[in-house]
Amino acid sequence: MKKPLLTIAISLALSAPLAVQAGEKEDFEELYAKAQSTHKDAGTFQWTVTGDRLKAAKSAADNGEHKKAKTMANEALKLAEESVAQRKKQQEAWRMVAIGN
Amino acid sequence: MLKAKVILVSLGIALAIPQAMAGSTPEEDRKEAVEYFKQMFPDVPFEEFVNGQYALNEDRRKQWESMQDFPPYEFAVAEGQEMFETPFANGKTYASCFENDGIGIRQNYPYFDTKKNEVITLELAINRCREANGEKPLRWKKGAIASISAYMASTSEGKPIDIKVPDNPDAMAAYQDGKEFYYSRRGQLNFSCASCHVQNPGKWIRADFLSPALGQPANFPVHRSKWGELGTLHRRFAGCNNNVRADPLPAQSEEYRNLEYFLTYMSNGLPVTGPATRP
Repeated sequence: MKKPLLTIAISLALSAPLAVQAGEKEDFEELYAKAQSTHKDAGTFQWTVTGDRLKAAKSAADNGEHKKAKTMANEALKLAEESVAQRKKQQEAWRMVAIGN
Repeated sequence: MLKAKVILVSLGIALAIPQAMAGSTPEEDRKEAVEYFKQMFPDVPFEEFVNGQYALNEDRRKQWESMQDFPPYEFAVAEGQEMFETPFANGKTYASCFENDGIGIRQNYPYFDTKKNEVITLELAINRCREANGEKPLRWKKGAIASISAYMASTSEGKPIDIKVPDNPDAMAAYQDGKEFYYSRRGQLNFSCASCHVQNPGKWIRADFLSPALGQPANFPVHRSKWGELGTLHRRFAGCNNNVRADPLPAQSEEYRNLEYFLTYMSNGLPVTGPATRP
């Protein structure tokens, strides 16, 4: 193999994991921001578990564990979406069970 | 004749629709709630509902009665009285902020202040009194504020709860907000306050025996064995929310004050029994 080609191949091989990590960091940041905003949207219906997952995701990201952080942010997003759905449903559903309605 | 009938029917509909859309009045809610709990527990006398689980469970009642020889909140009440009577730096006392010098008034709290357009709880009034007299506010959930509140409640022992919802749209909105909060499911476990205290009182949820909504606020502040000290009603609200994995709101937030307003109105006519003990 020619020397320049070998150099390019080695450079590519070494930079690939860094590129993946950079992608994971960006993915995490996007997911985390979305989860935070959805959690906020739940208003007085926020769930404690969502906040816990967000904290854990942030902590993992701070330690450079972006893959783990991404997974946790995704879990937080799903929980936050359920709490928003609960808030919307309860706007009317509470009347069905209230005494005096 | 036909014309007269049409006019009468139209008039009837016009009058009935706004009534139906307005929903029930607080007093209709209260009467219906009292009837609901009476039917659920026909052997429990109305005034006994203030004793919560002790009115429904014989074993729990025996434990409670044995504790009443030396109630664990007595020292806190004495401490509360001392703080209540000790002058602020400006020479005034808490008595200067309250009707009847703050004695025997617990049954009127919370009330809706039509000038400030908000619900005023006893603890809020205590801290506003401090601030008006140049003192720092106390922490909301336990400690000194619970002791002062307990002393003030003790001076109202036996007086019937008398919460008023004035004929005012803001007062009615506060009451309705509290009602909506009480019946709305929250948290990952998807429970409302009513899930336990309206739909399932008298049943066990793990190691907790559920008390009925009726009479609950009459006991506060309470000394809970779990806490090992006195705590305010808003501390309990936060604990309940947390139990169902819903983020608790700040003590004395507008939501919790409105919730207290609704819940206490439901107990109108029942005697003040606070402070009390709970597991």
